[in-house]
Amino acid sequence: MSDWSMDEIQDWDRKICVLGKSLNLDWYPIDYEICDYKEMIGHMAYTGLPTHYRHWSYGKSFDRIQTEYNLGMSGLPYEMIINSNPSISYLMTENPMATHILTMAHCVGHSDFFKNNRMFAETEADTVIDRFKSAGKRVKKYMEDPNIGVDAVERILDACHSIRFQVPRTPGIKRRNHKDLKKYYTKLIQNDKTSKFDNFNINQLPLEPDSNVLKFISENDRHLAEWERDLIRIVEQESLYFIPQAFTKIMNEGWACMIHEKIVQALGLPAKYHISFMRLHNQVVRPHLGQINPYHLGYKVFKHIEEKHGFDECLRIREVHNDETFLKAYLDRELCQELNLFSFSFDKKASVNRVAEISDDPGWQTVRDDLIKNVGLNSVPVVLVKELQKNGTLVLEHQHDGRDIELSEANKVFEFINNLWSGDVKFTTVIEEEVWEF
Amino acid sequence: MSTFREHKTIADRAASDRSRHRQKIEKAIKESIRDVVAEESIIGQSGNKKIRIPVKGIKEHRFVYGSNEKSKRVGSAQGKDVSKGQQIGHRRKQQPADGDKAGDKPGEEMYEIEMSLEELAGYLFSDLELPELEKKNFKFTTQEKMKRKGKRPYGIRPRLSKKETIKHKIRRKKAAIKAGSYDPESGDRFTFHESDLRYKHIAPVLKENTAAVVFFVMDVSGSMTKSRKYLARSFFFLLYQFLNHKYSSIDVVFISHTADANEVNEEQFFTQVPNGGTLVSTGLCKVEEIIEKRYHPNNWNIYTFYCGDGDNWAIDNEEALGSFSRLKEYNQVMCYAEVGDREAGYGNLFGNGSGERKLWDWTRTAEDKKFKRIRISKSADIWPAFKRLFGGRE
Repeated sequence: MSDWSMDEIQDWDRKICVLGKSLNLDWYPIDYEICDYKEMIGHMAYTGLPTHYRHWSYGKSFDRIQTEYNLGMSGLPYEMIINSNPSISYLMTENPMATHILTMAHCVGHSDFFKNNRMFAETEADTVIDRFKSAGKRVKKYMEDPNIGVDAVERILDACHSIRFQVPRTPGIKRRNHKDLKKYYTKLIQNDKTSKFDNFNINQLPLEPDSNVLKFISENDRHLAEWERDLIRIVEQESLYFIPQAFTKIMNEGWACMIHEKIVQALGLPAKYHISFMRLHNQVVRPHLGQINPYHLGYKVFKHIEEKHGFDECLRIREVHNDETFLKAYLDRELCQELNLFSFSFDKKASVNRVAEISDDPGWQTVRDDLIKNVGLNSVPVVLVKELQKNGTLVLEHQHDGRDIELSEANKVFEFINNLWSGDVKFTTVIEEEVWEF
Repeated sequence: MSTFREHKTIADRAASDRSRHRQKIEKAIKESIRDVVAEESIIGQSGNKKIRIPVKGIKEHRFVYGSNEKSKRVGSAQGKDVSKGQQIGHRRKQQPADGDKAGDKPGEEMYEIEMSLEELAGYLFSDLELPELEKKNFKFTTQEKMKRKGKRPYGIRPRLSKKETIKHKIRRKKAAIKAGSYDPESGDRFTFHESDLRYKHIAPVLKENTAAVVFFVMDVSGSMTKSRKYLARSFFFLLYQFLNHKYSSIDVVFISHTADANEVNEEQFFTQVPNGGTLVSTGLCKVEEIIEKRYHPNNWNIYTFYCGDGDNWAIDNEEALGSFSRLKEYNQVMCYAEVGDREAGYGNLFGNGSGERKLWDWTRTAEDKKFKRIRISKSADIWPAFKRLFGGRE
């Protein structure tokens, strides 16, 4: 049986909020939903959003999470919070009081981060729940429409999901549409004195390589039906909403861990809760051997900053940085060595992973840069729309940065894009230093 | 101050997406089965033997980086010594030589599903049937069928009979008008009532089919190489499983022939070692002989399946074609299956080119609705050929 009552939870919440304010945190009000483990699995499967649209892939992740949970292969997360105003968070009935206290303090940290970090400026937290609700309704409507049906909807959604991360990696910067770009370039050409633009074709599409593949397709494929266009937009909008979170995973979790530690330490927990809290806290922020635990790394870096520059500097940093700049600026040699970070790669001949670089001098910089290459969306290849040819061929190009893409996967994605785009599709990349095209 | 809500939903929001995902897996199973049917491991197994079927998971694909040397990942190893070039983790399993086999690629999600031959047959044969079954005097083969059995006031939604339901509504409306409790002029809607609902009722009935006999005729001569014999055996095995699964009482006659034909039992038929020359007509004559003795065409549906490699002694070709044509008259459907590659058989070392025409060409003239020819040159051909014969929808 549970060791808590609603009154108790509310009591602790009041204290947590007071302490949060005293830390100069500024967060959205939080709506806690008390749910059982099955609902929790449901929330996890649907990216936390209570109003997310239906698609079989979420059923698949539901089954996977449930199986893993039932087999004891993995626990369920203590916290899950949505970047919305008010923030929605879930508390699982099965959890004991100490876990709820940690969760609530942790959520204050997250919500504060959502509200203040500049990456989230364009996510429109006030309306997100309604926007997803409306999208969910529309998807349902299309599925139930006898002229469309589940199969057709899935054909579009499957394809969109395969390129859902091919969206701009510049959260907070507004996309310029074709008209504005054209104006901009026309002006440039008119005022051009360096003859840099002599060979520039003002009529090409797109005028500059477009990183938003989904948006480009929905805007430029004239054969799409309105519902198809809508589905593409729904997936694109969701990606744009989630991208800031991918960009700040390490910071966001580190920040929340630091905040929950500060708050709970100031709460003066009775001994029976304190021991379980400490156990849980240490479990969350422990390093994972051979991997990066974002909770651990983010927490360590923030602690390091606090030691050197004080908490006010931490408050400033949580506003202006993202994982990339955060690590570049604050993951120094001392910390790299303390965490014993190393980079490794796969040795094809021996088919083993081999250590490539360790955190000595000057190796730590390489390790740090390799780490940065893998944070956020940096682990997802960049694919741009290069050109839309007169005959309707869509030319896509992978921006090769030294890392080859997995061809078998790229092939499948290529098929999906073909399903989406009504004309031909061309895709180029570099494999083992040779241009590869399909 | 935060707000708290105790959320009580009973509805499982993921239910429909989960069932949709399972449907997709089921479909993948069916597709994988087709690759499995011709595999060595299932041919000649008894019905209880469990067969493992690899099923490709329903994977979501996206652009990812491959694991080449330039793509580095980072890990932490607090409190451990790490040095450059050190090997970490375990050696990955070596890929088998034939890389194109399903599931060999790294990162592919695989399920393995275990099922018995019987269950497998259920998946495979659900929509296949013996073609052209006619009513004959003897009634033997029983088959369970779902039959419509009137209407009833309860049932599941998909079986709702709109016609019957509306009939009942109209009936009630007329009665109401007569009784004066409803005025058609009033403009009120006369709504459906639960008691109006009628559902189609279906019940299983044992369908008595007419008697059927199936002749399996196989060439076991020396020219049937190991791989050809394997194809022929696979074809018959599948056929046998199909008949056993679908029809509870059906006669099967096994005949194997070289230059001379014998009726054999099931075990001998599937295990016999080939040798000797080939006279196709002997096998067919044996069929005629047995029909004459035991299975009168008036009483029996007769099916004959011949399977060989098409190598026949030149002098026998006329004779064989004659037998085929004669047999065709008695048979509901008869099938000539030729195994092995068509091209490979041509102009073989000892043949003198033009004279060595294979039975495939000879039998062309006889082909019609009742006489079907199929070619099986590799194991992947077996299932499509099978589906074609028994009218599966594909």
